[in-house]
Amino acid sequence: MPNLGLGLGLRSVHFDHILENRPEIAWFEAISENFMYSQGRPRYVLRRVAERYPVVLHGVSLSIGSTEALNLEYLRKLKTLAGEVGPQWISDHLCWTGVLGANTHDLLPLPLTEEALRHITGRIKQVQDFLERPLILENPSTYVSFAGSTIPEPEFLYLLTRETGCGLLLDVNNCYVTCFNSGYDPVAYIESLPHDRIVQIHLAGHQHCGTHIIDTHDRPVVAEVWKLFSLAWQRTGGVSTLLEWDSNIPPFEDCLDELHKAKAFMTAHPDLAFDDVRPEEREPALSTPIDFLVPEVLLSHRDE
Amino acid sequence: MEEKNDSLADLQAWMQHALVHPEDLSAAGDADRLVLPSGALSPRQRLAIYQRGYYARLVQCLEGQFKVLCSTLGPPLFQDFAGAYLRECPSVSPTLSDLGERFADYLQQTRPDRDAGEKEPWVDFMVDLARFEWDLYRVFDARGHEGKPYAAFSVPDARIGLQPCIFLREYRFPVSGYYTAVAQGKEADVPDPDRHFVAFCRKDYRIGIFTLLAPQFYFLSVLQQGAEVSVALGLTVEKFGANPEKARSAWHEWKNKWTEAGFFIDRGALSD
Repeated sequence: MPNLGLGLGLRSVHFDHILENRPEIAWFEAISENFMYSQGRPRYVLRRVAERYPVVLHGVSLSIGSTEALNLEYLRKLKTLAGEVGPQWISDHLCWTGVLGANTHDLLPLPLTEEALRHITGRIKQVQDFLERPLILENPSTYVSFAGSTIPEPEFLYLLTRETGCGLLLDVNNCYVTCFNSGYDPVAYIESLPHDRIVQIHLAGHQHCGTHIIDTHDRPVVAEVWKLFSLAWQRTGGVSTLLEWDSNIPPFEDCLDELHKAKAFMTAHPDLAFDDVRPEEREPALSTPIDFLVPEVLLSHRDE
Repeated sequence: MEEKNDSLADLQAWMQHALVHPEDLSAAGDADRLVLPSGALSPRQRLAIYQRGYYARLVQCLEGQFKVLCSTLGPPLFQDFAGAYLRECPSVSPTLSDLGERFADYLQQTRPDRDAGEKEPWVDFMVDLARFEWDLYRVFDARGHEGKPYAAFSVPDARIGLQPCIFLREYRFPVSGYYTAVAQGKEADVPDPDRHFVAFCRKDYRIGIFTLLAPQFYFLSVLQQGAEVSVALGLTVEKFGANPEKARSAWHEWKNKWTEAGFFIDRGALSD
């Protein structure tokens, strides 16, 4: 997969800015579900963006780990959208989102067992056959770990890539969140991953609650996560990198400034760059995924 | 829940049940067996992070989809209704865009005065407002006519058809004026009941809300079913006992306004 450079998550609050100003940025990542069901302006905007920039489709509802049957209608819509916008790749999360016909719209954690490995391996193969392209899977932020888990997450991800040929999206913020919440070493986590299978890195901010961390995507990236990014950058040799911001979203240029901090951590001596990273106090937000689109007030009202 | 939660399917069924029904303490209690403690949190406390997030996230989404209803009821009462709705009607769609699809029906079915002989008008209004906001939401993402030509006024009546992104709706209250005022941050009183006909029309991704007279609503409904203008006008005259000459004259006025608003396509151009 190509190294696209530094990109941003495509968010509806930035639509007008992007269309009007055509900002200098290497690529965008779009939340698949915000566009694949739309036949209105969101889909139009994504098509326009894809005419000018490379795009990646990033899903939150594939539910690859669910014991429910794969949703073929979902996959059909995803494939149709991919046909329209020509994404560089399609990604989703190592998680499940619902069973028994329901969708919790949360990226729920999996017990990392042989059973889960077999189950997910089979489903990734099905998805890849359907989409006719490799799937890229992201490590999620988790708040629980299961007593029944027998395989460390990096090894689980390695085995999935080995058995299916899928790629990895390493979210270094998720890595930090999960490791803090479960008492693992995030450096050892990254060192244990199959670096040659990582095609993309995610960056984001989180909310530290003292006893645990919530993955909120509502503030700048913290120094510890930049440090992990620097390590991941060195180990992978540099891959496409994207900043996610989903709540309390600042103006586009501020997001761009935050993204460009990454450049300093791609150098051989990244410690110098920590001068630039200061924690910010912000109102707490909800854990991701929360992005959804509502009709903007483009209304006119007439009485007969 | 039963003791045996060891398979992946059982574990997922347990966790989903615990999220949707946090009041079921026995399900939460299973966390002690299934979830490891962290250095700072017990298994139940760790599970509670997901339980809190589930409702908070989805209620926030419903607040976005029903902004004016939320403002009218006040956030605490809206959140009570939304929470009860989510317990009763969990999402079954991969997209959050569908989350509020059954909300108006749910409010109607569970209205506080459902067993009373006389119904409270304010409840009817809240249900109408929820339907209105949902209709608006659907228009936003529906299949439209953008990128293709709309009919000009000069297109002969025989070739006039409705464009696909017109939603015709009837309400029990004049809800569109109330909605527009509150959405613009103005004060508005809950209106008295009065049959209310509305056309939502999306053109170039802008949504127009048009309050209609009953004959106009009927005429457009017939047109939407594929009838030609002359047929729709004839049926409208018949239904409302109108003078045919006056009706034809009124149609020219309507055509002028509605053409400008993007209601029509040229069916002849489509078949060319």
